[in-house]
Amino acid sequence: MSGNQELAQEDVATQDLMTPNDGTGTRGGSGFSIRDLNVFYRNLHVLKGISLEVEPHKITVFMGPSGCGKSTLVRVLNRMNDHVEGFRHTGQVLLDGKNIYDSDVDPVLLKTKVGMVFQKPNPFPISIYDNVSFGPKIHKTFKSKDALDVIVQQSLEKAGLWDEVKDRLKTSAMRLSGGQQQRLCIARAIATLPEVILFDEPASALDPGSTAKVEELMVALKKNYTVVLVTHNMQQAARVANKVVFLYKGDIVEIGEPPAMFENPKNPLTEKYISGHLT
Amino acid sequence: MSKTSEGGADSSTALAQATQTVTVPWYQQRVSNSYRRRQIWDKILKGLILVAVGLVLIPLLDMLYLFAYKGLTVISLSDLTESTTAGTGLGGGGIYNAITGSLLLLGISAAISVPLGIFSGVYMAEFAGEHNRYASIVRFFSDVLAGVPSIVLGYVGYLLFVLSAGWGYSALAGGLTLSILMLPYILRTTELSIKRVPDSIREGAIALGSTRTSMINKLTLRFAIPGIITGVMLAVSISFSETAPLLYTALFSNYPPTALLHQPVAYITGIVWTFSQMPGTGPHDLAYIASFVLLSLVFLVNFIARVVLKRFSKI
Repeated sequence: MSGNQELAQEDVATQDLMTPNDGTGTRGGSGFSIRDLNVFYRNLHVLKGISLEVEPHKITVFMGPSGCGKSTLVRVLNRMNDHVEGFRHTGQVLLDGKNIYDSDVDPVLLKTKVGMVFQKPNPFPISIYDNVSFGPKIHKTFKSKDALDVIVQQSLEKAGLWDEVKDRLKTSAMRLSGGQQQRLCIARAIATLPEVILFDEPASALDPGSTAKVEELMVALKKNYTVVLVTHNMQQAARVANKVVFLYKGDIVEIGEPPAMFENPKNPLTEKYISGHLT
Repeated sequence: MSKTSEGGADSSTALAQATQTVTVPWYQQRVSNSYRRRQIWDKILKGLILVAVGLVLIPLLDMLYLFAYKGLTVISLSDLTESTTAGTGLGGGGIYNAITGSLLLLGISAAISVPLGIFSGVYMAEFAGEHNRYASIVRFFSDVLAGVPSIVLGYVGYLLFVLSAGWGYSALAGGLTLSILMLPYILRTTELSIKRVPDSIREGAIALGSTRTSMINKLTLRFAIPGIITGVMLAVSISFSETAPLLYTALFSNYPPTALLHQPVAYITGIVWTFSQMPGTGPHDLAYIASFVLLSLVFLVNFIARVVLKRFSKI
């Protein structure tokens, strides 16, 4: 909980949310190091000895067909699986060198460091303003009403939604379109000042225009955040990824960089998936 | 490619031939042979539904007319400010003791069952999973409890509170018995309305670093409130209208309540029950007045519930 107190002591109102709070020049220097991770749901072996690096300021994409374990892997990174019945794991998930499953790590603190955007937009059925200020309010990361206003405005600006909603912050978030709702969820995640943002198929329920906006946003966000994206859409992976992890049946098949990985896959399985013959 | 287009041409010419044989324009054609029959059935069933609605409404409106008309023609202010006396049947006296008694019983039973029911409903919905053994036992017994005849609960209350606890016929014994009756309604409606809040909202809150309790406080409970209020109001109406459990536990009294223990207490349905069985118009009028007051209170409770619901369901 000490992390929250540090956040509370910052004067958020006077600074840009994106500017560093540690003097290094950028926010989001955090990276994951996953070591021999196995995940089980009861007797089902979902992830089989995964080891990989998620580097800061890059977009790491987990790609693969349905059921390959990509969603499970991304949900491990902020411990969203903790309450799933029958979940257990072996191996290590290090965030800046510290295993996030260590008993002295508070899962709530972890979630303030690692934000998440879900497949289906899930705005809370309250006002737009209350959605964005939800995180700052529960963590008390602001000193005054004005400071909170600044957090809300900057978060919405970073999510590219400010101009569309600035005149109706008090109206219900449910009145926004699907694409706007998803960007609101991104703003809501940004507002808790995370280091890493996880995107779990964020565009699969959106139209092409909204998808393009979300993709642009992810590329913009990697300057200040570490971004992890889960998708089954390889065009999307090719457009935004710095690093692609191709998963199949709980194993890593290939790790590569676009466009080389898509033009010249090393593994026949990857080739099959890219050509649409792997289901 | 050419093959499929040939097939398409084939079928379209066949279709053209088929339509050519029919000379009736399309808007005069029959949907099918059974269509007329289905239309008639449609009308008959609609008629039956209207008749059923009418049959339900007639006794309801008759009852409203009876109690409102009879009650309003005989009611006077003194009926509401005076208590029943030993000689009420012969004229004089009112139902003040019963109104205050009923309100006291409601206060006691609500003070116990509302928080208990809501807290256990929250536990069942948010903390106990579907497969939780303890929760399914509680769920089962609460369903059984809702189906137990109230007079049986009254007897249980009599044995437990009046005799074993030694409270005698009293407001506390009556209120506690009523609270047992109300509890399952509040518990189950709370549980069901919290479960209706979608999981994606819970996930969203947890992912923002919300604890389970603050998620319940700030989100799920807030959106379950209309449902919870409905359950509470249902329970309140039940508590107002029950007679059987109170016969065993509160008995009756000609005086407004002044103590919680060792003092029998009056209640509105008790007046209806007692005075409707006495001979003569005086007692009957009092029973009508009591029924009217009771109905008004139930209406009032429902009206307030609707107003509150509207305010909460605004967003």
